[in-house]
Amino acid sequence: MFDILKDLIFSSGLVSLTGGNLVMWLISFVLLYLAIKKQYEPLLLLPIAFGILVVNLPLTFLMEPEHGLIWFFYHYGIELDIIPPLIFLGLGAMIDFGPLIANPKTLLLGAGAQAGLYVTFFAAVLFGFDLQEAASIAIIGGADGPTTIYLTSKLAPHLLGATAVSAYAYMALVPIIQPPVMKLLTTDHERQIVMKKLRPVSKLQRVCFPIVTAMTIMLVVPPAAPLISMLMLGNLFKESGVVERLTKASSNELMNIVTIFLGLSVGATMTASTFLNPKVLFIFFLGLFAFVISTAAGLIMAKFMNLFLKDKINPLIGAAGVSAVPMAARCVHKVGSEANRRNYLLMYAMGPNVAGVIGTVVAAAILLKNLG
Amino acid sequence: METDWSKVIEVFSSGIIGVFLVMFLLQVLTQLSTRVIDAVENRCKGADADQPVAPSQD
Repeated sequence: MFDILKDLIFSSGLVSLTGGNLVMWLISFVLLYLAIKKQYEPLLLLPIAFGILVVNLPLTFLMEPEHGLIWFFYHYGIELDIIPPLIFLGLGAMIDFGPLIANPKTLLLGAGAQAGLYVTFFAAVLFGFDLQEAASIAIIGGADGPTTIYLTSKLAPHLLGATAVSAYAYMALVPIIQPPVMKLLTTDHERQIVMKKLRPVSKLQRVCFPIVTAMTIMLVVPPAAPLISMLMLGNLFKESGVVERLTKASSNELMNIVTIFLGLSVGATMTASTFLNPKVLFIFFLGLFAFVISTAAGLIMAKFMNLFLKDKINPLIGAAGVSAVPMAARCVHKVGSEANRRNYLLMYAMGPNVAGVIGTVVAAAILLKNLG
Repeated sequence: METDWSKVIEVFSSGIIGVFLVMFLLQVLTQLSTRVIDAVENRCKGADADQPVAPSQD
């Protein structure tokens, strides 16, 4: 009896527990709290937090190559680039590009916000990260989770957990991070600017947009193909109006299924040995820096455009040039309506917001082309 | 490890310029395609409006 008990104890994970495991449990509990109690990006943070917890239980071998259950999700889903493009398919089926088509100038705001990403790349290199790592950290500034995961898994897979959690955490914190930057870089008068009414967009224009965009971007930047092709296919499903079942499947069932595998796999990359080092702290700091600089770059771009435009745009909408759909657009609307209660900026901000999704993919593809 | 600063500058500058060029190209093509579609749709509407109504048989 005693031998059986002794055997049970010594073959259990308890004896293999390390201090690092305990710290990772703590991180997992904090993320679970943020997801459940504070509802910060719960769809992603909940499976990520649970992934962190289970992978840091000794002797479970869930991430053991060729054997562990979550390793198979990770290998087939992320290493082989299946999941991020599928998330983009669902995203495309949900996004309305109408405000962007009505005001194509906002594409430049989506490009402007990406300048912050390259500034962060420079900063990360100064902090001692190698070029691949610096690019993976910089992409956090795009505030686009799937793109961050896609690029990091290709350039610096050992940083995947840190960059993904950082990207999703800052996306959830948009309402806290962006308003001070917006108020700092705009005057009260600028925040009150009422924009010209958007023109109506016909169904044919909506159908043509994903086709034109997919062809243009894939011809010019081929490494963007996996993400852009799926994003635009999802949008074509939606706008064509003839494949309602596929639209619903992409935006609901498929999106939900891949979100589970994505979150769990990303969380499971965060073992104590890979996550607990000073570099990770720098990644969170640089991620925040990237996000702030990208927001600022979008605002400055909008102000710059106003120097040449007859119908002025409200520079606040430049802040929505980071992806984070639709939180960044909502945040712009909130700050705009604080300055002028009759100003309804949500639809105007959706233009640069969806342009930001495209811009981040293009930026990631260029980084991949240069460093992959 | 020694940092290859010429590569850093190359990635930095080609990245910023590249993103702006691609997005600008997309803007031009979006504007162009929407204008063409607008023109075609307006012409179709005009043609429909100009079509003579068949005389009544009553």
